Amino acid sequence: MTKPQRTRVAPTVLAGIGAFVVVGVYVLVSSIGLGLWTSLGPGPGMFPFAMGGLLVAMSALWLVQELREPSETASGVDRGLVLSVVISLALLAAVMDLIGFQLSMFIFLMYHLKIRGGRRWVSSLIIAVAGSFGAFYAFNYGLNVTLPTAGISVLNSIGL
Amino acid sequence: MDTLNELANGFASALTWQNLIFAFLGCLLGTIIGVLPGIGPVAGVALLIPLTMNLDATGAIIMLCAIFYGTAYGGTITSVLLNTPGEAASAITTIDGYAMTKIGKAGAALTIAAVGSFVGGTIATLGLVAAAKPLGELGLLVGPPEFFALMVVGISLLVALAGKSMVKALISGALGLLISMVGIDPVAGAPRFTFGSDNLLDGVSFVAVIVGVFGLSEILSYRKDSKAAAVHAPGMRSLLPTGNEWRRSAPSMARGTGIGFGLGLIPGMTGSVSSLLAYGAEKKFSKHRDQLGKGAIEGVAGPETANNAHANAALIPLFTLGIPASPTIAVLMGAFLQQGLTPGPTLFTEHSEIAWAIIASLFIGNVLLLLLNVPLVGLWTSILRVPASILTALILLFMVIGAYTINFNVFDVFVMIGFGLLGLALRHLDIPLAPMVLTLVLGPLMERSLRESLEISQGDFGIFLNRPISVVLIGIGVLIVLSPLLKLRKPKALNEDPET
Repeated sequence: MTKPQRTRVAPTVLAGIGAFVVVGVYVLVSSIGLGLWTSLGPGPGMFPFAMGGLLVAMSALWLVQELREPSETASGVDRGLVLSVVISLALLAAVMDLIGFQLSMFIFLMYHLKIRGGRRWVSSLIIAVAGSFGAFYAFNYGLNVTLPTAGISVLNSIGL
Repeated sequence: MDTLNELANGFASALTWQNLIFAFLGCLLGTIIGVLPGIGPVAGVALLIPLTMNLDATGAIIMLCAIFYGTAYGGTITSVLLNTPGEAASAITTIDGYAMTKIGKAGAALTIAAVGSFVGGTIATLGLVAAAKPLGELGLLVGPPEFFALMVVGISLLVALAGKSMVKALISGALGLLISMVGIDPVAGAPRFTFGSDNLLDGVSFVAVIVGVFGLSEILSYRKDSKAAAVHAPGMRSLLPTGNEWRRSAPSMARGTGIGFGLGLIPGMTGSVSSLLAYGAEKKFSKHRDQLGKGAIEGVAGPETANNAHANAALIPLFTLGIPASPTIAVLMGAFLQQGLTPGPTLFTEHSEIAWAIIASLFIGNVLLLLLNVPLVGLWTSILRVPASILTALILLFMVIGAYTINFNVFDVFVMIGFGLLGLALRHLDIPLAPMVLTLVLGPLMERSLRESLEISQGDFGIFLNRPISVVLIGIGVLIVLSPLLKLRKPKALNEDPET
């Protein structure tokens, strides 16, 4: 069965066009403040000004195209997945300097493996330990790439 | 003779045990990235840049190049065995590759694909050797106005060829340029769009942006209903093709090499276009064209040779002119810049030893891929048996490490998350991501050459029209962007290109 052709512009498309226009206008205004031209030639604002203008012009053109012939948008996203991945990543980034890479990544991996993924305890624990403590040592000592240790002194003193 | 001497020196450097290990690791990681359906070559290469941060420049670039062309072969494995392309350039291989699997000839298909990839990749690298000197010397005549004009052509081509809508491609390109402008202005030293944050004074981390836009957004767009297919790995005994299959594949490999090599040189052409056109050529010229779609070896040999020839040929504009021909090459160019190497004509004058060592390593990498891929098919397919929840968790782990270790700052992890959400929105709005990554890398170079040109001419834009090379190049760029108005049609294969 084929989908019926859209007759109105999708709200997400309108929101997208609106967002690009806002960004474009912000860039245009800021670029003028940076200075478009100096005695030596083009100023720091000239190139961004051109790009801001291009963004606004193309967004307007896109709106015209959409009004003439609304396009199909991609199918929706799995909101649960998006929220869980984004929030868990943001929390991980927020606490990584505080409790160190090893502990924060261990908790992060356990959440994705055990709680979200529904894996068994043993496999979750093995992978989470390897991905957190194992990766820390592999990167620090194997590749000489330093991953963060805990900012909290008690945790730091036990090697986290 | 000079070229051969320098190539010989390059081999001496590439064959040191450290560099051999880097090439081997790169091929291994590249194949894994190619096999994994969730992560494409662009995010894959960006993700692994931090692993190479503490290596010397030669080793780092050898490893990243090996990852790059390793992905081209890795994608074939899932196309043939699972009917699911690991990366877009292998999508067309699913037709005959999977049909061969169903009639018990998966091993032959994979071996022919590996040999075809080797042939295509090696011949394209020979092309790079031949073109390096003359094009590099020509490139030295290029001043800031010509360099700017050259980048206008490169970006115009990518914008024109990406996706179905040029308007959306231009939006994507403008976004990339704007992101690249965050930080201290390269000429006047004024901070731009930093919102008062010290973390943004050096600009937005390019690795964090790429990993977010290409990698994280891919994970965020997973659907619950994505089906996992059963894997049927071929046994060792079924790996060798018959004499007849070898004979039938040879002309297809020759055609695939020609198509992939030619298209690889053109900025904006993706490996998918090469493989689609190579399949089209088989449909037209193969003696057994009636069998295509039913498990004909030509349907594997042609496209697979083409996409590897394309991958290696796409390095020619990068090495000689400093122009990345595809998003993955743009990421590779970012890695060059981070190592203090500027790809382009000066690479052969300022860092000749490194440039030739990398070129020599391309030959070695192609041999390694051949040795690695055919006997290890069983191992690669076992990766596909790892449950999705484990793979996702591990990919997220590497993304966090990749984003963090560029500046050793958690701010970049937040940048990655933000750009992951932006990437998801762009995918939803059907805005192509390729122009964005290209302008992100080229933006600072483009702005600098524009402003240097205008300083030379004391603000007169006529400088771009008074110099013959730049006027021709700008004319070409304008024609490309205006082509929809002039009703110039895109090749049909581009509209079917899954990479755009």
